[in-house]
Order: sequence, then structure tokens, then C-alpha cells
Amino acid sequence: PDSSEDEAPEEVAFGVAKEAAEIERKLVGEAARRDRELLKEKRRRRQELFTEQKVRGPFTYATVLSPCGRTVLPPHLTSLSLAETEASPRGRPTGAVCSTARTVRGRSGRAGGAGMSIGNYMAVCLKDQSVTGLHQQLAKDFLNTQLYGPGTNRVQANEFFSLENKKNPVKKAAVQFVDKSWG
Amino acid sequence: MGEFEVHRVRFFGLVPAGVRCLAYQRRAGRLALARTDGAVEIYNFGANYFQEKVIPGHETRSVEALCWVTGDRLFGAGLSGDITEYDLARLCVSHSVDGCGGPIWSMEANGSGTQLAIGCEDGSVKLFQIVPGGIQFERNLDRRKGRILCLSWHPSGSHIVAGSIDIFHVLDVSSGLTVQTVMVNYHVQKVKRECIVWSIAFLSSGTVITSDSFGRVQFWDWEQGTVQESYTVSASSALSLAVSESEDSLIVGTSSGATYQFQLLPVKMDSQEKRWVRTKPFQYHTHDVRAVAHSSTALISGGLDAQLVIRPLMEKVGKKSYDVALRKFTFPHRRLVSCAKKARLLLFQFSQHLELWRLGSTEETGKDGEVLHLCRMPEHLVQLKSKGPEHIYCSCVSPCGSWVAYCTASRFHLCRVQCEGNSISIKKVPKVPKLLLPAYQLQFSSNSRRLFIASARGSIHVLQLLEPGGCTHLHTLQPPSGSPEAVYLLASSTDGLWLAAVGGDWVIHVYDLKYFKHHCTVPTYNCAVTALAIHPLINTLVIAYSDQQLFEFSILKKKYTSWSRMVQQRGLHKAWLERDAPITHITFNPKKPSHILLHDLYMFCILDKSLPLPKNSTLLMNQNTLKQLPETARKQELHAFKICKKFQPLLFADLLDENCLVVVERPIMDFKTQLPLPIQQKKFGT
Repeated sequence: PDSSEDEAPEEVAFGVAKEAAEIERKLVGEAARRDRELLKEKRRRRQELFTEQKVRGPFTYATVLSPCGRTVLPPHLTSLSLAETEASPRGRPTGAVCSTARTVRGRSGRAGGAGMSIGNYMAVCLKDQSVTGLHQQLAKDFLNTQLYGPGTNRVQANEFFSLENKKNPVKKAAVQFVDKSWG
Repeated sequence: MGEFEVHRVRFFGLVPAGVRCLAYQRRAGRLALARTDGAVEIYNFGANYFQEKVIPGHETRSVEALCWVTGDRLFGAGLSGDITEYDLARLCVSHSVDGCGGPIWSMEANGSGTQLAIGCEDGSVKLFQIVPGGIQFERNLDRRKGRILCLSWHPSGSHIVAGSIDIFHVLDVSSGLTVQTVMVNYHVQKVKRECIVWSIAFLSSGTVITSDSFGRVQFWDWEQGTVQESYTVSASSALSLAVSESEDSLIVGTSSGATYQFQLLPVKMDSQEKRWVRTKPFQYHTHDVRAVAHSSTALISGGLDAQLVIRPLMEKVGKKSYDVALRKFTFPHRRLVSCAKKARLLLFQFSQHLELWRLGSTEETGKDGEVLHLCRMPEHLVQLKSKGPEHIYCSCVSPCGSWVAYCTASRFHLCRVQCEGNSISIKKVPKVPKLLLPAYQLQFSSNSRRLFIASARGSIHVLQLLEPGGCTHLHTLQPPSGSPEAVYLLASSTDGLWLAAVGGDWVIHVYDLKYFKHHCTVPTYNCAVTALAIHPLINTLVIAYSDQQLFEFSILKKKYTSWSRMVQQRGLHKAWLERDAPITHITFNPKKPSHILLHDLYMFCILDKSLPLPKNSTLLMNQNTLKQLPETARKQELHAFKICKKFQPLLFADLLDENCLVVVERPIMDFKTQLPLPIQQKKFGT
């Protein structure tokens, strides 16, 4: 039996309780307001992007992966805010879907992002490397688990070959590798 | 015969890659083999199982299936999702097509070799048409949930059976629909883990055979969806399955390295009713047998222990002879070691790097069999890493030890090596001539001034090496009537005047290097050449063939020497002809002109042409017997073949100078520890 249940509730002054409730209301109100603002901002940005895309037309840009792995931004990705410009190259390499090379319209560029090249150039979409890589990795993991995972009764090399030595007509000593990392 | 100081080298850390796929082509008697590192090899069964072609691997290439199709074309497919055709003349990838189904687990050609079916990660079975120059996507068959790990065509081409996890489907090829789905696990009580159907076969009778991760081989009536017979052959997975063309015998490979033969035998004598019965068990492998094949006369298995095992079936071959002998191959049939004799350097070729070592030295002398202490240890001088994902085709170090060359599928590298006391520097030669790559063999001239590059279509490029570190293209030698095949062996004379070359068509051409013209062609002998060398003093070409025959051809006289004709007339000793491994290197002793040094994987031999040939009735390997005889009796027993079997497996042997030999061994145990883990073997009493 919980002894606290027999006790009367705490006595709190009315004023204190009122203040506490006030503060809480304010905080919740502010949080809600912040959320609304954020949502508004997001919607506004998306609207801007759509209007811009309508003007630009579909698939008129692509990011090019330079040999050292940094993304080179086409000059006309200027209407997006800096945060988004930096975010999109990271997302873009995995999402590139167009399969032909397109000449990018060279507009005056703005310095920023990971690296810029100004003027006309050829942008080429690469085969979706990361998705293929992911599939391949999943497949390899499946194979590994099935052949070498738990329940497969695998054994270290020295134990395996020691058994051979014991089974041989001429019995030999168990195998002990000088290099312990060999098993 | 002589005493030699032997440098016994065991620091070549070669780890052969495991065998992953096998595909036997009955018409040509050839076996295609794919390894876990992506390398593809062709073994010619008719030429004494010689490894006649090697296509080196690639970092990103994984081969899960290998198929021969019509026109002797070879296709492979793997987890990268591509279907690749291999150019067997140019020994490289011919082209690749994306299967568009994710990783490809299985691929099979139909009976006529005109279509390919692939089983994909996304659960689809796709059909491709074989067209000249490539393949063309035909259509998708019904796609189901679950990756297609194995598939098999019905011999008539009407249906395809596809194995997945816990189930297998039967698809009607013309409609593309799944006509039957059979659960392979339904009758197993309390199933906790899934049953992987690793391999599947479809017989003309309609019987479907599956091998699964529970170690079972099951025979199914697919129309009824019932199991006819179920055999548990192993506690570990039954990974691979192959049925003979006559459909009365099959081989199963398991994770424990054991293989089993099943045969369709009459229930009683003279009975019409037949049943599949497990007949022979074999334990030739220590690791998983992921690939098996069945020729009309032999059971073939390939394991992750890098062994290819061919077990001829006595009842199919007939007479009890060497033809029925078990054949096991682990190491390549070509040299991976080159030696700079003067500088006492060895160059080891790995799949993606080279190692240059300096041999140790000793001040001591000793008696036969004694081990001498080294005053200077062997030194690993340099490791040359090949940039990029491509594996190395060939490599060579010059006799003086100051040039190293190697080649991958798309790049040729030439480097200058400078040894000053204890420091060593390697400088890449910047501008190498643009050549059609890959190159298949590299050979420096004996004065280290020229480099010979064996190339496609029978041609050989001659490069002039310049000080301090450059080269120019001098000439390209070509056979008179052209050849579609690549040159794979070269031999140059010590005086720099002659070059012998042999290509995939097995024709040996001799070129005059003074005037850069074709000199003559050695009479055709219908077998693969395994080693070639030109005598330093008398300019005779010594040739070893894969059927263990030896010939000596005089370059100046353009005909076989009298000794060679005598050998052919008398015939070589039976024990010589019944050796399992091909001769991979021939060399000479300049101080003893009548000696020829040759070796295979299990022995090296000093052939003394001045001594009589052994008769079949005498012992071939008689060195030990001779040692015990007194001097006078020895002279009567001496014959030309002085064979030493002390050093095995022998990857390389050469004469450094008249009293010094170097032998490179790779004990099997030394690399077994670096293979994937084997299955625990439970044995009674242990």
C-alpha cells in the first residue's frame, strides 16, 4: 500500500499556481508559434523553388562530381539560399537520374559552395553508383550471413588443420601458428 | 652432375583465389572457371587439362555465374548487376550489359545456347537473346518476391525453374507466368531458419532437383508439387549441383568440402524402374565447394580452397590408365616469378601488386642436404602497387635488375630501379609508347637493352630501353599469315638475335631481331606449349608441351635437332609423361652446354643430353638410388633425367650461376590460413 495515497495533496498558494500556469501557457504558445513560422518558411521556400523551376524548365541542371569527389555547382543555382545550395549537392549525387549529357546554361556565377566553374561546360550524369553499391553490399551481406554467419559451424584454421593431423595415419602434433593472428 | 647451393625461397606470399564458378563446354572439351577475385580461366581438357587462357580479375568484378553460349562465346554475371561477355582471343572483357534487376545471382543458357536467363536480386527472371556482337534484352518473366539464387532451363526450353529462399518457382517461358510454386520446407517440423535453395536442376523427365542450406538433395515432381526423394548428404549446406548430359549422374558440392555423386540406377537387376541413389562420396577439398560441373567422363569440382579437382569416372573412361587419374590444380600454369640473375633479385607477381626481393647470401659451404646459415637475410626491397581496380596481367624484371615492367588491362608501366648500397629508388618511365593493351607476356632481352611485349593477334612489340630512364618503340613483329589469338609465351636468345613466340593458336614463330623479320615457323604439334627457351650457346629452341612432350628445334637449320628426333623415336619415359603438372620454365647452364634445366610444380630436372635416355623398365627418379651406389656402378645406371622432388610445390626454379640454384616454393599450408573459414569436421574419437 502506497503511503502517499493517504496523504492530502500539497497545499499550493493560488498566486504561485497561477503564475506557473501562465509561464507554461506562454512557453507552449511560443513553441507553437515557432512551429507555425517554420512551416510557413518551408512552404514559402518550396513555392519559390517551384516558380523558379517553372521558369527554368525540368532537368536543366545537374551537379557534376569532380574527380576529387567535391561537387561543382552550376552557376545558376543562385536563387536558392546558401543552406539549400550546400544541402543539394550532398543529396544530388545519389539522386542523379538523367542519362544524357546536357550543356548547362552559363549564367554569372556566385562564389560559394564547394567549388565553382564559370561559363559553359558539359555536365554528365553518372550511373547511380551508390544505389548499385548498396544493392551489391546487401547481396554480399546476405551471402556472408548464410555461409559464415551464426549457426554455420565455422572453425579457425588451426583447429581445422590440427584435426587433420590427428586423423592422419601418422599422427602429428596440433597446429599452433607462430603468428597468433592466423588463428 | 654437380652440387648446387640452393636458395630456398618461401616468402612469396601468394594466396590463390577460390574457385567460384565452373562451366564445361562439351563440344570443345574446355572448362571455364571463375575465381572469387573475378579472374576467368580456360582449361583445355584435351591438352592434358592445361590452363590455356587466363583473364585476370578486377576489384569490382564478382562472378556468380558463367555460361557458354552458341559460337563458343563465354558470358559471366555477378553481384554488380552486369552481364559480361569475355573476349577469349584478346583475354579481356568484350562488353557489359546492365541486367537491370540488381545483383545477378544466377545465369543459365538454354539448350541451344541462343538465350540467356538471369536470376536477379529483385526476384525477377529475365531473358536475353544472344545476337552477333552482344546480347539483347528480350523480356521479363513473372517476378516474385525473393531473390532468385539459382535457375535451370528444362532441356526443351519450355520451362525454367528458379530457386529462391524456402521456395522454388516453375515458370512457363512462352507465357512468362509462374505455373507452380513449391515450398521446400513444408514438411520440416519446427523450422527456425530459412531454407536457401542454393542450386537447382531441371531434367527432361520433368524432375526438379534442388540442393539446399540444410544439406539436402531433393527430387521433386513439379507438377504435383511433391517431393519424390530427399537425401541429407551433409550437416552443412549443399551449395552446388551439376547433372550429366545423359541425366543419369549428378554431382553435389557441400560447404564441408565433400562432394557426392548420385546415379540413376535400376532398382533391381534388369528392372525398368530407376531411382536416384547416392553412390560415391569424395573429400578432395578442405573448404566450401561452390562450383561443380559434370562432363561425360568426369566429375569436376572447384572449392574456396582454390583447388580445381577433376575426378574421371572409371566406368566412363574404360581402361585403367593415367586417363583415370585424379587431377588437382591449385596454382597457375604460368610463371608468376621472374628473376634478375646477375643482381640476385626476384620479382613476385600478385594480383594487384609486385614485390621485389633481394636474395640472401651465405659465406659457408657444406655437404649434400646441409642447411647453411645466411650472413645476409633476404630483403624485401620494394612493393609496387598497381593503381586502379584492374589486376595485373604480366610482369618482368630485367636480368640486370634495373628495369621492372608490368601490365594491366588498360595500362602498361615501365619503371627504373636504382639500388645504391642500402637505399633503393623506383622511378616510373613517363612516356611509354601507346600500344594495344593488354599485354600478355613481358620479356627483357639478356643484355637488358630491349623489352619484348606479347600482344594481341600474334604480334610482339619491341621496345628499346634508353638511359637514364626512357624507351622508344622499335618495331612490331607479326606472324606472316596473321592470327586472331594473343601471344602468351616469349623466349629470346642470349645473343639478342632471335625471338620465339607462341600464341593461343599453338603455332611457334621465330623472328630475326637483326632484320626484324619472320624467320621460320616450328612444325605444328597439336598441343599447347607450356614453356619455351633458347639455348645461349647453340641457339636451339627447347619446347615443352602440355602433354609433357619435349622438342628441341635448331633455329639456324630450321628443323628439329637429331637429339630431339631421337627422343621422339625412343619415346619419353612413362613416369615423365604421367606427370600431373606442366613444365613452366626452361633454362640452361652456360658452363654445361648439354644441360637443360626444367621444372614443374612437383620437381625440377636437369636433363643431360649427353647421357642415354631411360628405358621404361628403369626407374626415372633414380637420384636417391644413384647416391647409394658406388662410383663405378653409378656410371652404368646414369641416364639423362636427373630429377629432384625435394622442393614442392615449386612455383619457380632457376640457375643463378653454375653452382647456385634458386627455388621458390609455396607450401599449401602457408596460404590455407588466409582462406575463408572452413566448416568444422566432427570425427569419431576426436
